[in-house]
Amino acid sequence: MEDLIINAQDIHKTYTTGSLTVNALRGVDLTIRRGEIVAIMGPSGCGKTTLLNCLSGLDEIDSGRVLIDGVELHNLPDDERSDYRARRMGFVFQLYNLLPVLSAVENVEMPLLLSGVSSAQARSRAMEVLDSVNLTDRAAHLPGELSGGQRQRVTIARALVNRPAIVWADEPTGDLDSETAGEIIDLMCGLNRDNGQSFVVVTHSPEVGQRANRIVMMRDGLIADSGGGAAQVGDGSPEQATSD
Amino acid sequence: MDNLFGLSMDVIMAVLLAAFLAAIAAVGWFALRNRVMVRLGLRNIPRRRGQTALIIIGVMLSTVIIAAALGTGDTLSVSIRNEAIRSLNTIDEVVVPSRASAGDSFGSVPYVHVDRFYELQDKVAGLDTIDGLTPSIAETAPALNNRNSVSEGRLNIVGVDSSLLDGFTPLTSVTGGTVRLQALSDDEAFINDRAADSLDASPGDELTLFIGRETASFKVAEVVERNGLAGRDPTLLISLERAQRLFDRPDQINLISVSNRGGETDGVALSGEVSQELRAALSDPEAAAGLWELLRRQNVLDALAEAESDLTGSLRDNAVELREELQGPEVSDSLIRLLNRQSVEDHVMDVLGSEGLEDVEQEASALFSDLLPYRVIQIKRNILEAADEAGNIVTTIFLNMGLFTVMVGVLLIFLIFVMLAAARRSEMGMARAVGAKRSHLVQMFVFEGTAYALVSAAVGVLLGLVVSALMVGILNRIFAGFDESELFRLTPQFALRTMVVAYCLGMLITMATVAVSAIQVSRLNIVTAVRGLPNPPTEAQTGWRSVLMAPVRALVLPFRHAARAARSVIRVRPLAALGYLARAVWAVVMLPVVFWLTLARVTWRLLMQGWLIVLLGALLAWAGAAVWDRAAPFSLGVSLVIIGVALMLRIVLERTSMRPDLRDRIVFTFAGVVVLIFWLLPADVIESVVGELVGDFDVLFVSGICMVTAAVWTVMYNADLLLKALTWLTSPIGKLRPVLVTAVAYPMSAKLRTGLTLAMFALVFFTLMFISVLTETFSTQFTDPEVVTGGWHVEGTISASTPIEDVRTRIVELGLQPDDFAAVGGYTFSNVQARDTGGDSRDWQSLSVRGADDEFLEASEYDLHLIAEGYGANENEVLQALRDDPTLAVLGGNLVRTVPDVQDGFRPDLVESVYYGDDIMQPFTMELRQRLSDETTDVTIIGVLAREHEASFSMLASKALLDDLFPFEIPVTRYRFSVAEGVEAQQASYSLEGAFLEHGMETTVLADEIEQETAGTRAIFRLFVGFVALGLVVGIAALGVVSTRAVVERRQQIGVLRAIGYRRGMIQLSLMLESSFISLLGIAIGGTLGVILSYQAFTEIRDDAAVANLRFVVPWIQIGAILALAYGFSLLATWLPARQAARTYPAEALRYE
Repeated sequence: MEDLIINAQDIHKTYTTGSLTVNALRGVDLTIRRGEIVAIMGPSGCGKTTLLNCLSGLDEIDSGRVLIDGVELHNLPDDERSDYRARRMGFVFQLYNLLPVLSAVENVEMPLLLSGVSSAQARSRAMEVLDSVNLTDRAAHLPGELSGGQRQRVTIARALVNRPAIVWADEPTGDLDSETAGEIIDLMCGLNRDNGQSFVVVTHSPEVGQRANRIVMMRDGLIADSGGGAAQVGDGSPEQATSD
Repeated sequence: MDNLFGLSMDVIMAVLLAAFLAAIAAVGWFALRNRVMVRLGLRNIPRRRGQTALIIIGVMLSTVIIAAALGTGDTLSVSIRNEAIRSLNTIDEVVVPSRASAGDSFGSVPYVHVDRFYELQDKVAGLDTIDGLTPSIAETAPALNNRNSVSEGRLNIVGVDSSLLDGFTPLTSVTGGTVRLQALSDDEAFINDRAADSLDASPGDELTLFIGRETASFKVAEVVERNGLAGRDPTLLISLERAQRLFDRPDQINLISVSNRGGETDGVALSGEVSQELRAALSDPEAAAGLWELLRRQNVLDALAEAESDLTGSLRDNAVELREELQGPEVSDSLIRLLNRQSVEDHVMDVLGSEGLEDVEQEASALFSDLLPYRVIQIKRNILEAADEAGNIVTTIFLNMGLFTVMVGVLLIFLIFVMLAAARRSEMGMARAVGAKRSHLVQMFVFEGTAYALVSAAVGVLLGLVVSALMVGILNRIFAGFDESELFRLTPQFALRTMVVAYCLGMLITMATVAVSAIQVSRLNIVTAVRGLPNPPTEAQTGWRSVLMAPVRALVLPFRHAARAARSVIRVRPLAALGYLARAVWAVVMLPVVFWLTLARVTWRLLMQGWLIVLLGALLAWAGAAVWDRAAPFSLGVSLVIIGVALMLRIVLERTSMRPDLRDRIVFTFAGVVVLIFWLLPADVIESVVGELVGDFDVLFVSGICMVTAAVWTVMYNADLLLKALTWLTSPIGKLRPVLVTAVAYPMSAKLRTGLTLAMFALVFFTLMFISVLTETFSTQFTDPEVVTGGWHVEGTISASTPIEDVRTRIVELGLQPDDFAAVGGYTFSNVQARDTGGDSRDWQSLSVRGADDEFLEASEYDLHLIAEGYGANENEVLQALRDDPTLAVLGGNLVRTVPDVQDGFRPDLVESVYYGDDIMQPFTMELRQRLSDETTDVTIIGVLAREHEASFSMLASKALLDDLFPFEIPVTRYRFSVAEGVEAQQASYSLEGAFLEHGMETTVLADEIEQETAGTRAIFRLFVGFVALGLVVGIAALGVVSTRAVVERRQQIGVLRAIGYRRGMIQLSLMLESSFISLLGIAIGGTLGVILSYQAFTEIRDDAAVANLRFVVPWIQIGAILALAYGFSLLATWLPARQAARTYPAEALRYE
């Protein structure tokens, strides 16, 4: 048990939009080991991104328990949770989500500045990470001046700059052509191998799935297959309710 | 208010209404033709109600300012009109004798025999334009209520002929019902309600009047309503016959009141016509015959005929008619009417003077002054015209003050639509992709903008009226300080015409701005818009050929539609034919629009090349300096030249491999810095090159726009340096740094919206700072009452009918302590006519002369700004010279112009022989004339009083000068007291008023009076500052709109920031810092430039106007309070959207598209 970095039990999450109520997660249990690359896959609308958001603390859960490295994230006040994310987590999104007004290096150093690292150290470390993703020469460019692959590499650099224990990636190759997508997967695997960080990747891509240590399959807000016996399927049945 | 900027308000309203209706009709026409775009445009309004409210607030500000300015003008104008109509009642004109004899006295109107009235009555008996004519006596005298010893220093005593009151409003008792003068016995009188108040009198009380050395007693028979014949001020009414006996004027009168046909308000329309008739009837036939004889000489007729060709309009008609009448067989009524016209007299005298007919000129001058021994005063019409003028001035001042706010409002409207377009860029790109034309996008925004404008202009008018009412309230409080009786109260008045003008003007400004913004934002690249990418740096321009062909195509279009219509007729398709015909008509209507648009596009392209701007700028600068002598066009021209050169530099740099951002930085920094340097140059430097230039409100407006634009350019194109400095400064403050990085980076990445918002704040603060500093600085010149009054403490005004023979003796006789007064001096004011014998102008100007006794001249501590050579080395010697020689005088500093080219000063046309800015002065002669006997005398001017003295608005001379000038003795009517050390001025004032009761002395403590006036002036200045501060609302609304948009636009990015570790508070802080960055930078730019410009204005005024005691003062507390309030509200406007942003869950924000 001591090498578990994520331990989620009976996670429930419901969204209400106008008159529509969607049970996005209906009792998910999931454990992930330190240094593991886990791909979460499943059809659109099955709750993959919601699960990632709930596990990473980006979203609240209705019930259940999530332990990240032994810390019950959802019991932390919002500010502490933000600090925890800044120090211990990295995020990669499908649409890169870089800050368009900051240069590549400024985007990358942002989590370090948030963690209280000095400006000089932050800049040095950001350049180091940009170098590791082969973007040293693009450090001063704004995101709008970079290609899709370059932007995603900046996003990965930003996710890794504070040496997080976990990197959460939501469709990291979804907006890239296959060649660039392959480069990004290689990059993530290489970083995982070198640094031993855990990667939780939500993806539709079979190529990404193949490169993961484990594939977790989801369907209708439940885990259909945990890909290694560590996952358990909840006992609720698929449900989508409509309220008044 | 009937006129504004010299144009009739009716014309202004008609033009604006027509333009408004045309604009609405055009929008309506497009709306009918393209309902889909109407729906697309309007559906956005209810979607975000908060944003819609903010937009309406922003859009309405221009209308608020316009409505408030017009409403305040209306109020002032209508209130004065109403007061005039109320107080004069049915009296439209008054006739007073203008010739005095030895039997007349100073301080009262000359008398004539009552037969003159009956003659006049006979002459005008046939006129149906006059329905009332009554003779009367009007005098003043001190009065005492014997019951309670309450006194009134200047009670009007009016004697009215009770048998000649037809056409006038009857006297009415305050208890109701009319009262009759015939019912009064010899020792009874009526008093009006104001007299009852001031004397605390009621029916039955006995009043004592002090007339010369005599006294007379009257029992109050009734208190009557004031106004009309009963007077506006405290008045006692008796019969004419009783008044004649009281003042020892048997069978004499000194006033004729005239009522025109019609009521209180409509009779005034006949005032011009009636005055003409009265003048003709009152003219001296002998003088008229003399003029007829004199001017019908052949050489004079030839000269008059020759001069006619230079005349235009009615004066030419009158001149021709005059010449014809002069050649007639006898003196006709028409000739007398013509000779009585001032314009005709001036024309005749000019012709005689210019033709060298000096003997004729001299004789004619004497005959003209004998022609009409009366003054016919169109009293009601004059006041009504003054009311209109007052309203006009107030409106003009407030409109000028509000010009910046209107400008800032226009910027805000532009900003709003640029931001709305940015928010809907993808949607607009999609619309274009599926076939919408650019014109459809323009229409969509125009529909939306028109909807906002329709509502916001209406709300703006209403709010403007509220603002106006508030200002009126403040003005009432200020006026109450000047007029303790508070008789004159402003009542908020808003003419329907004003509302229409304000609404239409607000609407048109908004619609024009919306149209320009819509054209601007419709220029988008479809692909980048759909994909949400930034626009390419340079949009491909339409070719010159295409631009120039547009009017040709527009010319052909009506013919094409007409041909199609004809074809449809041939094919018997009448509906289609009608449709094509309508299109042909529309195409014709649109021809001028297309033509002007093409012209605008061509001009714009040429302007952007820089050389045309340089050319136009140089032309404007030249015209400003060489033709108009005005600073604003000159400085604007130079600024344009600099900008043009910068644009030309840009074109050169475009041909190099320089990065666009670096190129723009160089170009706009160059333009910004050089324009700023030019505007910050001291006026002396510019004047040493181009000479003295005149400046007004226009300089403030142009300088504000130029300096703020230059500063904003400089800041915006060098913001990265600012960012680096800020980052360096905040690097020690741990977590603040990432917040600051985003807080500065975001506004700097959106240069247009940041620049616009920055410019708004800067412009408003620029004006605010300028006006605040200057008003406070001007207030400093009034601060020391000792200096202002020349060392005097108390002034006592007495009735001319009860003069004091020897004031020092009288002080002892009345039981006062003579030692309480260090000095006592007396003087009398009299209005005369004057002209500078050495000047080019031969026109007489009105001048107030202070004829002072010896002690006044000896004890006054006046500073002389200039002393004529040979008349002493210091002030004492000059004042001694005045005592010794009554043909000497000094002029008040405010009566002379500062320099020859500037028309400043209280009487700018009076003197040409000396200027306040002169270093040395030569004595010169002025000719004085008083109209009562046409006596003239020469006086030698030997000095100019410093402008800070209250005496510097008149001429100071020995009283002997006035004695020589008038046909009767001049009594001293004002006394000045300088109290001894240890004596309270207020206490001395009370004692003097009580002791000199029978002389009707009314005293004032001069320091209090000055303080009261200064307080009033300051209050008006502060009202101006408050009015300008309204513009801050625009700036705050702009920040609110920008922040709201920022939260919506950056929702995903906010999610990312939260994901990577931003706390909620940091998101909020970042947005607040962002808005603070803009508002504080804007405040800093505007404030700094405002202080610098106001300092320049201060030094120029101090040096040119030579106001030595003017001190430069920045009202930090007032500015600080405004700044804190503005900054606080701008933070509040940002706080709400920032709070909303901070509360959003990161996952929710990340999901947002």
